[in-house]
Amino acid sequence: MEERWILFKVFRYNPKVDKFPHWDGFRVKVDRGTTVLDALLRIKEEDPTLAVRYSCRQSICGSCGMMINGKPRLACYTRVLSLGTDMVEVAPLKNFRIIKDLVVDFSDFFKKERSIYPFIIRSDAEEMMNPTGAYKQTEEELLKYLEFADCIECGCCYAACPTTATDPLYLGPQALNKAYRFIMDNRDEGAKLRLSVVDSDHGCWRCHFAASCSNVCPKGVDPAKAIQFLKGVIMREKVIGFKKEGTSLIKMPHCVQKEDQRSE
Amino acid sequence: MKESNLMILHYATALILIVTGSIHLMANNIPDIGIHGPLYLANMLIFVSALMYHAMNGVRVILIELVPTRSRAISYIILVIGVIAYLYIVSLVITLVR
Repeated sequence: MEERWILFKVFRYNPKVDKFPHWDGFRVKVDRGTTVLDALLRIKEEDPTLAVRYSCRQSICGSCGMMINGKPRLACYTRVLSLGTDMVEVAPLKNFRIIKDLVVDFSDFFKKERSIYPFIIRSDAEEMMNPTGAYKQTEEELLKYLEFADCIECGCCYAACPTTATDPLYLGPQALNKAYRFIMDNRDEGAKLRLSVVDSDHGCWRCHFAASCSNVCPKGVDPAKAIQFLKGVIMREKVIGFKKEGTSLIKMPHCVQKEDQRSE
Repeated sequence: MKESNLMILHYATALILIVTGSIHLMANNIPDIGIHGPLYLANMLIFVSALMYHAMNGVRVILIELVPTRSRAISYIILVIGVIAYLYIVSLVITLVR
Protein backbone atom coordinates (compact mmCIF):
# COMPACT_ATOMS: atom_id res chain seq x y z
CA MET A 1 0.00 0.00 0.00
CA GLU A 2 1.29 3.42 -0.94
CA GLU A 3 2.52 5.41 2.07
CA ARG A 4 3.71 9.00 1.98
CA TRP A 5 4.91 11.63 4.39
CA ILE A 6 2.67 14.67 4.22
CA LEU A 7 3.33 18.02 5.86
CA PHE A 8 0.34 19.32 7.81
CA LYS A 9 0.24 23.05 8.34
CA VAL A 10 -2.16 23.46 11.26
CA PHE A 11 -3.73 26.74 12.35
CA ARG A 12 -3.10 27.40 16.04
CA TYR A 13 -4.79 30.07 18.09
CA ASN A 14 -5.90 30.26 21.68
CA PRO A 15 -7.64 33.62 22.14
CA LYS A 16 -7.11 33.42 25.92
CA VAL A 17 -3.32 33.19 25.59
CA ASP A 18 -2.18 34.13 22.08
CA LYS A 19 -2.14 37.66 20.76
CA PHE A 20 -2.02 36.43 17.15
CA PRO A 21 -2.70 33.12 15.43
CA HIS A 22 0.22 31.11 14.07
CA TRP A 23 0.79 27.93 12.04
CA ASP A 24 2.45 24.75 13.25
CA GLY A 25 3.93 22.15 10.93
CA PHE A 26 3.67 18.39 11.50
CA ARG A 27 4.88 15.50 9.32
CA VAL A 28 2.47 12.58 9.22
CA LYS A 29 2.84 9.26 7.40
CA VAL A 30 -0.40 8.58 5.55
CA ASP A 31 -1.75 5.79 3.37
CA ARG A 32 -4.66 5.51 0.95
CA GLY A 33 -7.28 5.30 3.69
CA THR A 34 -5.95 7.98 6.03
CA THR A 35 -8.40 10.81 6.46
CA VAL A 36 -7.49 14.32 7.55
CA LEU A 37 -9.15 13.56 10.89
CA ASP A 38 -6.97 10.45 11.35
CA ALA A 39 -3.90 12.58 10.65
CA LEU A 40 -5.04 15.28 13.08
CA LEU A 41 -5.60 12.68 15.81
CA ARG A 42 -2.05 11.40 15.22
CA ILE A 43 -0.82 14.99 15.51
CA LYS A 44 -2.84 15.30 18.71
CA GLU A 45 -0.96 12.29 20.13
CA GLU A 46 2.22 14.25 19.46
CA ASP A 47 0.84 17.56 20.68
CA PRO A 48 -2.12 17.07 23.05
CA THR A 49 -2.78 20.83 23.23
CA LEU A 50 -4.24 20.77 19.70
CA ALA A 51 -8.02 21.34 19.87
CA VAL A 52 -10.13 19.41 17.34
CA ARG A 53 -13.86 18.69 17.48
CA TYR A 54 -15.03 15.33 16.17
CA SER A 55 -17.44 12.57 17.04
CA CYS A 56 -18.82 9.93 14.65
CA ARG A 57 -15.87 9.68 12.18
CA GLN A 58 -18.29 8.71 9.39
CA SER A 59 -19.65 12.07 8.14
CA ILE A 60 -22.93 11.81 9.99
CA CYS A 61 -22.53 14.08 13.01
CA GLY A 62 -21.11 17.14 11.22
CA SER A 63 -18.67 17.94 14.04
CA CYS A 64 -15.36 17.98 12.16
CA GLY A 65 -16.02 20.66 9.56
CA MET A 66 -12.87 22.70 8.88
CA MET A 67 -11.01 24.52 6.13
CA ILE A 68 -8.82 21.93 4.39
CA ASN A 69 -6.57 23.41 1.72
CA GLY A 70 -8.78 26.52 1.78
CA LYS A 71 -12.08 24.72 1.25
CA PRO A 72 -14.66 23.84 3.91
CA ARG A 73 -14.78 20.05 4.22
CA LEU A 74 -15.43 17.32 6.76
CA ALA A 75 -12.08 16.09 8.11
CA CYS A 76 -13.43 12.55 8.56
CA TYR A 77 -14.69 12.43 4.96
CA THR A 78 -11.56 13.83 3.29
CA ARG A 79 -8.79 11.39 2.46
CA VAL A 80 -5.39 13.05 2.62
CA LEU A 81 -4.03 11.55 -0.61
CA SER A 82 -7.17 12.50 -2.53
CA LEU A 83 -6.18 16.14 -2.03
CA GLY A 84 -3.17 15.53 -4.27
CA THR A 85 -0.81 17.88 -2.42
CA ASP A 86 2.34 17.26 -0.36
CA MET A 87 1.27 19.89 2.10
CA VAL A 88 -2.18 20.03 3.68
CA GLU A 89 -3.31 23.27 5.27
CA VAL A 90 -5.88 22.86 8.04
CA ALA A 91 -7.67 25.86 9.53
CA PRO A 92 -10.91 26.53 11.43
CA LEU A 93 -14.12 27.19 9.49
CA LYS A 94 -14.43 30.76 8.22
CA ASN A 95 -17.30 33.03 9.33
CA PHE A 96 -17.27 31.49 12.84
CA ARG A 97 -15.68 32.78 16.05
CA ILE A 98 -12.64 30.69 16.99
CA ILE A 99 -12.77 29.04 20.41
CA LYS A 100 -9.38 27.34 20.11
CA ASP A 101 -7.28 26.08 17.20
CA LEU A 102 -9.70 24.22 14.89
CA VAL A 103 -12.72 24.47 17.19
CA VAL A 104 -15.24 27.18 16.37
CA ASP A 105 -18.28 28.59 18.14
CA PHE A 106 -21.56 27.34 16.61
CA SER A 107 -23.89 29.20 18.99
CA ASP A 108 -24.73 31.96 16.50
CA PHE A 109 -25.25 29.35 13.76
CA PHE A 110 -27.71 27.36 15.89
CA LYS A 111 -29.42 30.54 17.10
CA LYS A 112 -30.18 31.40 13.47
CA GLU A 113 -31.39 27.86 12.83
CA ARG A 114 -33.73 28.05 15.84
CA SER A 115 -35.14 31.35 14.58
CA ILE A 116 -36.74 29.62 11.57
CA TYR A 117 -38.58 27.05 13.74
CA PRO A 118 -36.78 23.91 12.51
CA PHE A 119 -39.52 21.47 13.45
CA ILE A 120 -43.00 20.43 12.34
CA ILE A 121 -45.56 22.98 13.50
CA ARG A 122 -49.15 21.77 13.75
CA SER A 123 -52.37 23.13 15.13
CA ASP A 124 -53.58 19.77 16.47
CA ALA A 125 -51.61 19.92 19.72
CA GLU A 126 -53.60 17.09 21.31
CA GLU A 127 -52.69 14.71 18.48
CA MET A 128 -49.05 15.75 18.75
CA MET A 129 -48.98 15.11 22.49
CA ASN A 130 -51.01 11.87 22.42
CA PRO A 131 -50.65 10.42 18.91
CA THR A 132 -53.38 8.14 17.62
CA GLY A 133 -51.85 7.53 14.23
CA ALA A 134 -49.37 8.62 11.58
CA TYR A 135 -49.57 11.61 9.24
CA LYS A 136 -49.95 10.49 5.65
CA GLN A 137 -47.22 11.48 3.20
CA THR A 138 -47.04 10.20 -0.36
CA GLU A 139 -43.78 9.59 -2.22
CA GLU A 140 -44.36 12.73 -4.33
CA GLU A 141 -44.89 14.81 -1.22
CA LEU A 142 -41.72 13.41 0.32
CA LEU A 143 -39.69 14.18 -2.81
CA LYS A 144 -40.63 17.87 -2.54
CA TYR A 145 -38.22 18.32 0.36
CA LEU A 146 -36.16 15.12 0.61
CA GLU A 147 -33.09 16.49 -1.18
CA PHE A 148 -32.94 19.35 1.34
CA ALA A 149 -33.39 17.14 4.40
CA ASP A 150 -29.92 15.58 4.47
CA CYS A 151 -28.26 18.53 6.22
CA ILE A 152 -26.00 17.46 9.12
CA GLU A 153 -25.39 21.03 10.34
CA CYS A 154 -21.63 20.85 9.80
CA GLY A 155 -21.37 24.56 8.96
CA CYS A 156 -19.42 24.08 5.71
CA CYS A 157 -22.03 26.02 3.70
CA TYR A 158 -21.97 28.82 6.25
CA ALA A 159 -18.16 29.02 6.03
CA ALA A 160 -18.26 29.16 2.22
CA CYS A 161 -21.01 31.77 1.94
CA PRO A 162 -19.74 35.17 0.73
CA THR A 163 -22.84 36.95 2.06
CA THR A 164 -22.30 35.56 5.57
CA ALA A 165 -18.72 36.83 5.38
CA THR A 166 -19.90 40.42 4.92
CA ASP A 167 -23.22 40.30 6.78
CA PRO A 168 -22.98 38.42 10.11
CA LEU A 169 -26.73 38.89 10.65
CA TYR A 170 -27.60 37.01 7.43
CA LEU A 171 -29.52 33.85 8.32
CA GLY A 172 -27.15 31.76 6.22
CA PRO A 173 -27.64 28.88 3.76
CA GLN A 174 -28.18 26.22 6.41
CA ALA A 175 -31.05 27.97 8.19
CA LEU A 176 -32.69 29.03 4.93
CA ASN A 177 -32.37 25.53 3.49
CA LYS A 178 -34.00 24.13 6.62
CA ALA A 179 -36.79 26.72 6.41
CA TYR A 180 -37.57 25.60 2.87
CA ARG A 181 -37.40 21.94 3.89
CA PHE A 182 -40.10 22.43 6.57
CA ILE A 183 -42.23 24.78 4.45
CA MET A 184 -42.47 22.12 1.73
CA ASP A 185 -43.31 19.36 4.19
CA ASN A 186 -47.06 18.67 3.82
CA ARG A 187 -47.32 17.72 7.52
CA ASP A 188 -46.20 21.20 8.54
CA GLU A 189 -48.57 24.13 9.09
CA GLY A 190 -46.02 26.80 10.05
CA ALA A 191 -45.15 28.17 6.59
CA LYS A 192 -46.50 31.67 7.30
CA LEU A 193 -44.52 31.91 10.53
CA ARG A 194 -41.30 30.84 8.83
CA LEU A 195 -41.84 33.06 5.79
CA SER A 196 -42.15 36.07 8.09
CA VAL A 197 -38.67 35.27 9.44
CA VAL A 198 -36.93 34.58 6.13
CA ASP A 199 -38.58 37.54 4.38
CA SER A 200 -36.49 40.11 6.26
CA ASP A 201 -33.53 42.49 5.82
CA HIS A 202 -31.10 39.65 6.53
CA GLY A 203 -33.17 36.78 5.14
CA CYS A 204 -33.29 34.96 1.84
CA TRP A 205 -33.20 38.12 -0.32
CA ARG A 206 -29.57 38.73 0.64
CA CYS A 207 -28.48 35.55 -1.21
CA HIS A 208 -26.69 36.47 -4.46
CA PHE A 209 -26.72 32.88 -5.70
CA ALA A 210 -22.94 32.47 -5.64
CA ALA A 211 -23.79 28.81 -4.90
CA SER A 212 -20.59 28.30 -2.88
CA CYS A 213 -22.74 26.62 -0.22
CA SER A 214 -23.96 23.95 -2.63
CA ASN A 215 -20.44 23.53 -3.98
CA VAL A 216 -18.97 22.55 -0.60
CA CYS A 217 -21.83 20.62 1.03
CA PRO A 218 -20.39 17.19 1.98
CA LYS A 219 -23.87 15.62 1.92
CA GLY A 220 -24.79 16.89 -1.54
CA VAL A 221 -27.53 19.20 -0.30
CA ASP A 222 -28.18 22.20 -2.54
CA PRO A 223 -28.93 25.13 -0.19
CA ALA A 224 -28.54 27.69 -3.00
CA LYS A 225 -31.39 25.99 -4.88
CA ALA A 226 -33.50 25.88 -1.70
CA ILE A 227 -32.99 29.62 -1.20
CA GLN A 228 -34.06 30.40 -4.77
CA PHE A 229 -37.13 28.19 -4.29
CA LEU A 230 -37.80 30.00 -1.03
CA LYS A 231 -37.82 33.31 -2.90
CA GLY A 232 -40.27 31.70 -5.33
CA VAL A 233 -42.53 30.62 -2.45
CA ILE A 234 -42.56 34.20 -1.12
CA MET A 235 -43.35 35.54 -4.60
CA ARG A 236 -46.21 33.05 -4.97
CA GLU A 237 -47.47 33.97 -1.50
CA LYS A 238 -47.51 37.65 -2.55
CA VAL A 239 -49.03 37.25 -5.98
CA ILE A 240 -51.40 34.27 -5.93
CA GLY A 241 -51.10 33.01 -2.36
CA PHE A 242 -49.06 30.01 -1.28
CA LYS A 243 -51.09 26.86 -0.85
CA LYS A 244 -49.92 23.32 -0.29
CA GLU A 245 -51.65 20.01 0.13
CA GLY A 246 -52.19 19.17 3.76
CA THR A 247 -52.02 15.75 5.29
CA SER A 248 -54.48 13.36 6.80
CA LEU A 249 -54.17 11.14 9.80
CA ILE A 250 -53.96 7.39 9.35
CA LYS A 251 -55.29 5.92 12.56
CA MET A 252 -53.06 3.16 13.87
CA PRO A 253 -54.83 0.21 15.56
CA HIS A 254 -52.39 0.07 18.47
CA CYS A 255 -52.74 3.84 19.03
CA VAL A 256 -56.54 3.65 18.89
CA GLN A 257 -56.38 0.77 21.38
CA LYS A 258 -54.29 2.95 23.72
CA GLU A 259 -56.80 5.79 23.24
CA ASP A 260 -59.65 3.48 24.24
CA GLN A 261 -57.75 2.33 27.30
CA ARG A 262 -57.11 5.95 28.26
CA SER A 263 -60.78 6.88 27.91
CA GLU A 264 -61.81 3.89 30.00
CA MET B 1 -42.22 47.79 3.87
CA LYS B 2 -41.47 44.08 3.74
CA GLU B 3 -38.25 43.00 2.07
CA SER B 4 -40.16 40.84 -0.43
CA ASN B 5 -42.23 43.85 -1.62
CA LEU B 6 -39.04 45.85 -2.18
CA MET B 7 -37.45 42.96 -4.06
CA ILE B 8 -40.55 42.29 -6.20
CA LEU B 9 -40.40 45.95 -7.21
CA HIS B 10 -36.67 45.52 -7.87
CA TYR B 11 -37.32 42.67 -10.31
CA ALA B 12 -40.29 44.47 -11.88
CA THR B 13 -38.24 47.64 -12.46
CA ALA B 14 -35.52 45.52 -14.10
CA LEU B 15 -38.09 44.30 -16.63
CA ILE B 16 -39.45 47.84 -17.12
CA LEU B 17 -35.87 49.06 -17.73
CA ILE B 18 -35.37 46.53 -20.51
CA VAL B 19 -38.63 47.55 -22.25
CA THR B 20 -38.41 51.34 -21.79
CA GLY B 21 -34.64 51.32 -22.43
CA SER B 22 -35.20 49.55 -25.74
CA ILE B 23 -37.98 52.01 -26.68
CA HIS B 24 -35.67 54.90 -25.77
CA LEU B 25 -32.84 53.53 -27.94
CA MET B 26 -35.20 52.95 -30.88
CA ALA B 27 -36.73 56.42 -30.53
CA ASN B 28 -33.28 58.02 -30.64
CA ASN B 29 -31.85 55.93 -33.47
CA ILE B 30 -34.79 55.19 -35.76
CA PRO B 31 -36.31 58.61 -36.66
CA ASP B 32 -39.39 57.24 -38.49
CA ILE B 33 -40.56 54.99 -35.69
CA GLY B 34 -43.00 57.61 -34.41
CA ILE B 35 -41.98 57.88 -30.78
CA HIS B 36 -41.78 61.61 -30.07
CA GLY B 37 -43.51 64.36 -28.15
CA PRO B 38 -45.60 63.24 -25.14
CA LEU B 39 -44.99 59.54 -25.89
CA TYR B 40 -41.22 60.05 -25.75
CA LEU B 41 -41.54 62.04 -22.52
CA ALA B 42 -43.80 59.42 -20.91
CA ASN B 43 -41.35 56.65 -21.83
CA MET B 44 -38.45 58.67 -20.46
CA LEU B 45 -40.28 59.32 -17.18
CA ILE B 46 -41.12 55.63 -16.72
CA PHE B 47 -37.53 54.72 -17.61
CA VAL B 48 -36.05 57.24 -15.15
CA SER B 49 -38.46 56.20 -12.37
CA ALA B 50 -37.61 52.51 -12.80
CA LEU B 51 -33.90 53.29 -13.08
CA MET B 52 -33.89 55.38 -9.91
CA TYR B 53 -35.74 52.76 -7.88
CA HIS B 54 -33.59 49.91 -9.20
CA ALA B 55 -30.32 51.78 -8.61
CA MET B 56 -31.19 53.09 -5.14
CA ASN B 57 -32.46 49.70 -3.98
CA GLY B 58 -29.27 48.09 -5.32
CA VAL B 59 -27.17 50.56 -3.33
CA ARG B 60 -29.36 49.90 -0.26
CA VAL B 61 -28.80 46.14 -0.54
CA ILE B 62 -25.02 46.60 -0.83
CA LEU B 63 -24.92 48.97 2.14
CA ILE B 64 -27.08 46.68 4.30
CA GLU B 65 -24.57 43.90 3.73
CA LEU B 66 -21.65 46.17 4.54
CA VAL B 67 -23.25 47.70 7.65
CA PRO B 68 -25.77 45.02 8.73
CA THR B 69 -26.65 46.56 12.09
CA ARG B 70 -27.88 49.80 10.54
CA SER B 71 -30.27 48.39 7.93
CA ARG B 72 -33.27 50.54 8.91
CA ALA B 73 -31.26 53.78 9.02
CA ILE B 74 -29.70 52.94 5.65
CA SER B 75 -33.15 52.33 4.13
CA TYR B 76 -34.43 55.72 5.32
CA ILE B 77 -31.30 57.62 4.21
CA ILE B 78 -31.48 55.98 0.77
CA LEU B 79 -35.20 56.81 0.57
CA VAL B 80 -34.57 60.51 1.28
CA ILE B 81 -31.60 60.73 -1.11
CA GLY B 82 -33.58 58.78 -3.73
CA VAL B 83 -36.65 61.03 -3.56
CA ILE B 84 -34.53 64.21 -3.83
CA ALA B 85 -32.48 62.80 -6.71
CA TYR B 86 -35.63 61.51 -8.41
CA LEU B 87 -37.38 64.90 -8.27
CA TYR B 88 -34.28 66.63 -9.62
CA ILE B 89 -33.83 64.13 -12.46
CA VAL B 90 -37.54 64.26 -13.40
CA SER B 91 -37.44 68.08 -13.59
CA LEU B 92 -34.26 67.80 -15.67
CA VAL B 93 -35.83 65.28 -18.07
CA ILE B 94 -38.97 67.40 -18.51
CA THR B 95 -36.86 70.51 -19.22
CA LEU B 96 -34.59 68.69 -21.69
CA VAL B 97 -37.36 66.91 -23.58
CA ARG B 98 -39.45 70.04 -23.91
